[in-house]
Amino acid sequence: MAELLRVENLKKYFKNPAGMLHAVDGVSFSINAGDTLGVVGESGCGKSTLGRVVIKLLEPTSGTIIFKGKDVTSVTKKEKKELRKKMQIIFQDPFSSLNPRLCVFDLIADPLKTYRLLGRAERQKKVFELMDMVGLARRFAYSYPHELDGGRRQRIGIARALSLDPEFIVCDEPVSALDVSIQAQILNVLQDLQQEKHLTYIFVTHDLSVVKHISTDVLVMYAGVMVEKAKTKELFATPLHPYTKALLSAIPVPDIDYKRQKVKLKGEISSPIEPKDECRFVNRCLYATEACRKKAPGYEEVLPDHFVACHNVREINNLMAEEADHLRG
Amino acid sequence: MMTSLLDIKGLHVQYSTRKNIIRAVNGIDLKIDAGKTVGLVGETGAGKTTTALSIMRLISSPPGRISEGEILFQGKDLLKATEHDMRLIRSSEISMIFQDPMTALNPIMRIGQQIAEVIYQHGDCTKTEAMERSKEMLETVGIPAARGSEFPHQFSGGMKQRVVIAMALACNPKLLIADEPTTALDVTIQAQVLEMMSDLKEKFDTSMLLITHDLGIVAEICDEVVIMYAGEIVENGSLEHIFRDARHPYTKGLFASIPSLSKDVDRLTPIPGLMPDPANLPTGCKFHTRCPHATEDCANLKPSLVSVEPGHNVRCLRVERGEL
Repeated sequence: MAELLRVENLKKYFKNPAGMLHAVDGVSFSINAGDTLGVVGESGCGKSTLGRVVIKLLEPTSGTIIFKGKDVTSVTKKEKKELRKKMQIIFQDPFSSLNPRLCVFDLIADPLKTYRLLGRAERQKKVFELMDMVGLARRFAYSYPHELDGGRRQRIGIARALSLDPEFIVCDEPVSALDVSIQAQILNVLQDLQQEKHLTYIFVTHDLSVVKHISTDVLVMYAGVMVEKAKTKELFATPLHPYTKALLSAIPVPDIDYKRQKVKLKGEISSPIEPKDECRFVNRCLYATEACRKKAPGYEEVLPDHFVACHNVREINNLMAEEADHLRG
Repeated sequence: MMTSLLDIKGLHVQYSTRKNIIRAVNGIDLKIDAGKTVGLVGETGAGKTTTALSIMRLISSPPGRISEGEILFQGKDLLKATEHDMRLIRSSEISMIFQDPMTALNPIMRIGQQIAEVIYQHGDCTKTEAMERSKEMLETVGIPAARGSEFPHQFSGGMKQRVVIAMALACNPKLLIADEPTTALDVTIQAQVLEMMSDLKEKFDTSMLLITHDLGIVAEICDEVVIMYAGEIVENGSLEHIFRDARHPYTKGLFASIPSLSKDVDRLTPIPGLMPDPANLPTGCKFHTRCPHATEDCANLKPSLVSVEPGHNVRCLRVERGEL
């Protein structure tokens, strides 16, 4: 399959009174057209920043972004505006990402107006088509965002992102603010649209069950760095990084028959301001050794298409396999 | 038979606005036995928090009003208690953990003092003793006592929630109401807080009403489950009843809506439509507008909560008639 987006050693630092905040610190990945890359991690791990840097809402500190074979890391304002037609974003909070003074019709028509794409009559037709596509009844066209519930507002966000017929959409926690029954509706809309229009998604979320459901590949982030990346099935079946293991075992599963090994994490995420050259997870890791404090681990392709950043990944996983054998008998 | 610690009977709560009356809770019967953890599950606007606030008698009036029902706590009706009695009951008998730990603490008061204040107000002790007890409580929730002299902004979200839990448990309440205690937290921190809550519940022998929208959390720490929809209980039962043998179409719909970690599902089956407007609730079964099995009768007849097996009740006409 054709590669749509490639990101190499992407970094985004923010200035902070206490020093440089390393929000995204050297992330590399590539996505094929039509796939969904799930980016997971806890708050403050840099997953939203990553999404924003990739579509150039934020300028990267260093690194390269290659979109459809073209280096788009440093483009002019004009080129960026053109690029925006191909790359869009759906924001997390459907309560603050919409202009409260525009009605639904104007909100969805807004990108089309900005790009002076269609005539008045065609624009109207397109807006109604988009509303149908995302499952927003036409009677809401002249309602204002405050009159609608979260699910419908999120549908507006999706319609806006789709209005320019993009190929690539960053979904930044699009369902986190919604109730489960509405969340399922929105996830289905996103999946249907992806199939229909051959869209490529980066799906940023903290909810691992959502990621498992919607993504083809998963990237796990911790304190600005990528700790593990693999195919979704593989990552959930055989997580290799100690953090991924802990993360997976921490999710409460609504199934009383589902038994699993619990890995408990102590402490909290370390500060991303001026981090030391060590593994960022070292203070919470059950398997930390001397080496982990001396140098930050690089990414390694431990299994085919399965990348892990951990000095001791082999020892840890062999160890676990042996333990399991030992337990079995 | 032993009487329940908490026994809510036919509770109705409504909020009046200038234009209409919003019926938030419509006839809830809920029992919590000593030592048990009951999970109250429902979506936004189901009336979960209103129920909790009614138990604490914290519904602001106006606009809110408890229009009917009784809330028996150890056999005594809390709705008839005087405000003075309620002050004594709150936190020493029943205490509550609010959803958002970021706003539940006083930003200009030291953490240790905030906990001590609760103890001093309710216990017969001096301020020094209260301060000592406050330090003990901090240690109990895994925060070094020395940090009691810090202010809330110096604490992370998970630590603030621990402080709120310490405050809630400081006077050894018999009943703890936890309103979405971990919703604002990350999963690994959530796991820590949930584990701590279960341990403390054992240690202090507290009963708990856990309000949540997350069925995963319910599966991990609750003994009994109550599912609410539009201000009514639609199904209740033990953990096994609800997770192995859910009967109400809404409960089933909830389970089908959640992306599963334990099974592979290609496509979710969401519940169509939206929660009804509580100012204008549908007639008959309140869920019939979204229910895939609804018949004409469902739109006209009001179903009652009927037992399908001991301890497992369902509010659905078609289940009652044995059609589902």
